[in-house]
Amino acid sequence: MQEFWGRYKRNRSAVFGLVVIILVVLMAGFADLLYAFDPFRLAGKPLSSPGTNGFLLGSDSLGRDVAAGIVHGAKTSLLIGLVATMVAVFIGVLFGAFSGYYGGRLDDLLMRVTEIFQTIPSFIFAILLVAIMKPSIASIVIAIAVVSWPSVARLVRGEFLALKNREFVQACHTLGMNDLRIMMREILPNCLSPIIVVGSLMVATAILIESGLAFLGLGDPNIMSWGFQIGAGRTMLRSAWWVCTFPGIAILITVLAINLVGEGLNDALNPRLRERN
Amino acid sequence: MTRSSKIFKYVGKRLLQGIPIILAIVVINFFLLNLAEGDAVDVLAGEAGSATPEYMAQLRAKFGLDQPLPVQLMVYLKNVATLDLGYSFRHDMPVSDLIFDRFAATGLLMTSTIILAVGFGVLLGLLAAMRLNTWKDTVITVFALITYATPLFWVGLMMIVVFSLKLGWFPTSGMENVAAFYEGWDRVKDIAVHLVLPTITLSLFYLALYTRMMRASMLEQYGQDYVITARAKGLTERRITFVHVLRNALLPVVTMAGVQVGALIGGSVIVESVFAWPGLGMLAFESLFARDLNLLLGIFMLSSILVIAVNLVVDIIYCFLDPRIEVS
Amino acid sequence: MKTILQSCALAASLLLSSVSAYAAKDGGTLAFLVQPEPPTLASYVSTSGPIGLVMPKVYEGLFDYDNDGKMIPILAESYDMSGDGKTVTFNLRKGVTWHDGKPFTSADVKFTIMEVLKKVHPRGPNSFREVTSIDTPDAHTAIFNLDNPAPYMMRSFSAYESPMVPKHLLEGQDVKSAPLANNPVGTGPFKFVEWKKGQYIRLDKNENYWQEGLPHLDRIVGRFIPDASTRTAAMENGEVLYAAYNAIPNIDAVRLKERDDIGVTTDGYSMINPMALIEFNTKEGAFVDPAVRRAISTAIDRRFMIDTIFFGYGKPATSALSSNFKATNLHAEMPNYPERGDVAAANAILDKAGFKKDGDGVRMTAVLDLIPYGEDWRRAGEYMKQVMGDIGIKLELRYEDVPTWLKRIYHRYDFAMNINYFYQLPDPVLGVHRHYGTNQIRKGTHFVNSSRYSNPTLDALLDSGSKEPDAAKRTATYKEIQTILANDMPVVNLFELQFLTVYNTKLKGAYGSAMGAYGSFREAYLDE
Repeated sequence: MQEFWGRYKRNRSAVFGLVVIILVVLMAGFADLLYAFDPFRLAGKPLSSPGTNGFLLGSDSLGRDVAAGIVHGAKTSLLIGLVATMVAVFIGVLFGAFSGYYGGRLDDLLMRVTEIFQTIPSFIFAILLVAIMKPSIASIVIAIAVVSWPSVARLVRGEFLALKNREFVQACHTLGMNDLRIMMREILPNCLSPIIVVGSLMVATAILIESGLAFLGLGDPNIMSWGFQIGAGRTMLRSAWWVCTFPGIAILITVLAINLVGEGLNDALNPRLRERN
Repeated sequence: MTRSSKIFKYVGKRLLQGIPIILAIVVINFFLLNLAEGDAVDVLAGEAGSATPEYMAQLRAKFGLDQPLPVQLMVYLKNVATLDLGYSFRHDMPVSDLIFDRFAATGLLMTSTIILAVGFGVLLGLLAAMRLNTWKDTVITVFALITYATPLFWVGLMMIVVFSLKLGWFPTSGMENVAAFYEGWDRVKDIAVHLVLPTITLSLFYLALYTRMMRASMLEQYGQDYVITARAKGLTERRITFVHVLRNALLPVVTMAGVQVGALIGGSVIVESVFAWPGLGMLAFESLFARDLNLLLGIFMLSSILVIAVNLVVDIIYCFLDPRIEVS
Repeated sequence: MKTILQSCALAASLLLSSVSAYAAKDGGTLAFLVQPEPPTLASYVSTSGPIGLVMPKVYEGLFDYDNDGKMIPILAESYDMSGDGKTVTFNLRKGVTWHDGKPFTSADVKFTIMEVLKKVHPRGPNSFREVTSIDTPDAHTAIFNLDNPAPYMMRSFSAYESPMVPKHLLEGQDVKSAPLANNPVGTGPFKFVEWKKGQYIRLDKNENYWQEGLPHLDRIVGRFIPDASTRTAAMENGEVLYAAYNAIPNIDAVRLKERDDIGVTTDGYSMINPMALIEFNTKEGAFVDPAVRRAISTAIDRRFMIDTIFFGYGKPATSALSSNFKATNLHAEMPNYPERGDVAAANAILDKAGFKKDGDGVRMTAVLDLIPYGEDWRRAGEYMKQVMGDIGIKLELRYEDVPTWLKRIYHRYDFAMNINYFYQLPDPVLGVHRHYGTNQIRKGTHFVNSSRYSNPTLDALLDSGSKEPDAAKRTATYKEIQTILANDMPVVNLFELQFLTVYNTKLKGAYGSAMGAYGSFREAYLDE
């Protein structure tokens, strides 16, 4: 663990990313302390620019505090990103590993199922699912997970296909290791890099999909999230830029940080890179 | 059996398998879409401003929507078998006409996007990996992340404000200049000019994907034994990178590109919306909310055929990129 | 001699040039916004807004209406009404041809009213319900025979409300699905050329239009742009020259108004009279007690809603009728429609009615539905949630798409409170009665009495109000109607919407009709 952290530390931007993430999580956790009232409350003069009328980041068209919205919305957006990604990666790895390793009929079957999910244009599929299940945080998370796992599956399958005939795997066979152990202990760690990269981008994608859905009018109207703020402010981009720009920046910073962390994890987990440095 | 005949056999098998898959997709989509509440008649009546239940019942009978679901499905499948994608009751046109109308627009946008995004993505990722942890690497990585993380509609709108309103270099939206009705070469130039802003907006988004993927993949390859061996043998860094590592590193990139081409049709609803680009993405979106199920099913089916074809091509490319991969 | 001639020539040329400066210029293409894309072009079957933006340039009605409400002869040159109001004779214009060359005759008028508008048009069966038959003694005379006088009928002859359609292209077919729908053939100043789905509709000048010298424009193109900010950008760039019915969001309209080359007007909507309101479920749920509904109406700050959501464009409602009906003396101001909202008074009403607050200050909970057409209504819903919270009503917002929402409200009555807006149209019979009559409780029909309010006294008043030819008696009847509704409030009127038209000042001549954007643009021209 110490070794891992030592390696991780060496990438300065990764550390920076981690710090930012921790700050965002803290902000989300202490939202009620920072802004004790309901972020939907009509707190003052509508369309106040940042720094006026007591609004740090300005207010929106109904007079809601943009900063309060960002702080309270952090929790929602982070949760959506994390949960959706975890589900998607889990399913994707399962499908991809079994498919790539065993090949044959199982590969055919699993890949055909994956194809079924892939053929539906993913954003439309997400919209369809949210429309059917009525817009809510739960339906958004499910929709994002459902459209995201196929790419993980295909990726993992590709890696397993490439690795299963390598010498070290053949050696494991000779040693008599059972399949599951080979898959999880030998092959999987070797394709962790692309999985981590894809996974970290996916958290970001999940947060972006949520804002995209909000843009199209499919957000949950009862819970504050960054997507909601962007959706509510998007027609005002030219006149009251702060309403959707600050939440957009929040998303940008969070996504950036998540990816830097993912990068750092990738570099730290891949020992051979030490030589390159 | 020679390698190429093995591949042909594989292609044949996959194509044959494709048919029941497309069928399964159609059936699943059909039931999924019917889970959504309300139907096309409700929407039409709502838009018309009023309609009596009798009128709506008549419409339903005409559209065949009053039949039980399995019957509707059978009718649809029978039509599909004869390559009849059905009729869009909302648009009063055959579905195939509607789709082919918009397919060109989507194809144009996505092709140019993929070329731009993959091309630059691979180049930038390569550069970043070769200059690992230098300022060049950091700049490229951060640039990729920022373009990925910024909401698409914001980028699109800023493009319009800067390049169209302030600088006047490009039109704000649409595929053609509707006041001019150009013909021939002029029309091609006109469409090309309209294509620029939407393509750049969408490419910036996918660029991040390919840059990151390429960079990570290259780094992974650099850590492999064969690279150490090659270095020990005295090969130049250049040769190692471009002749050996690149080939292997492209694998995940190819996968990703394959996935994107397959998603061609969903394309970007957002970019099509912001730039009023008449593509299939917006068509699918509108048909969902209009409950124009025939149209939506038609689009989904086209999408499934495309994905199956592309997945097949990607698997073939795998074989050529890495001889160790065998097709089963 | 020479100098006199020269000065005459100079004077003549000056005179001519000044005259031509005011004369309309011919030529040019007008690109304007059509939002959203219409589902069909059959304006005789659907009154969907976007259709109204395009088809009245292709089809025409018997009359048009100018900004003072006066009737302008279009396909009818004049009319005579009998003393008892039961016979109306229309003298039709001669020399009018359809776009395919066939002549326009009284047979077309008879067919349009009796076979099309009375049967399949959303409002036609109501507007023409008193017409029992039409006689056509010759090709240019149509005599309407009515059961009872129908003063409101004379307000419904615009091209938008009652377009004349060609009998020879619809006869013997199923009107609702005839090919004429998407290949319209009318008598109007512009001919339909093509409809590129997802992009535009193109209309070219009708060279054989019945009025000499009109239209001025060569071509009209209606563009579809889904994104609101892009629409604004297109307007700023001069790519489109005209946008009505809030195609440009109010916040941008307010900004564009400052420019010299762009004008913003609220004219052109007097025949529409849009009213934002809340429909309540009066039979089940939290709001069956009229006291609760009165309390809700009392708490709402209508001025705030207008200012923050519509940027000042709107008028607080003061009764169940729009104040635009003052012109026909039918509007009367009523209590319970405060402009500024009085939360204390509302709380008092609820306390008195026996709805106690619990430990969290909540008296009752409900779900708020709202009309899915447009972003602005979401802000209205969000405001509503906050202000209802202040009087102890805890609301949860529910956004659904159009078909889901329609089914819920009008097929299942599965709602408590629904924010919506309706056109009250030029006469209350046409647009207001549908909310309140017992005979308008028609399950499965959209946009009629969804609150299921049923009051026999009111029904009788509505009936007599629609038939009453005497103006003073009609005023008194409607005053009673409004008084009852101000007390029972099955529907709480919020405010009268003021739609905006944003236009480029080089577009002239498009503003003379009361129908505004739903007019024909026959006199429109471009002046650089």
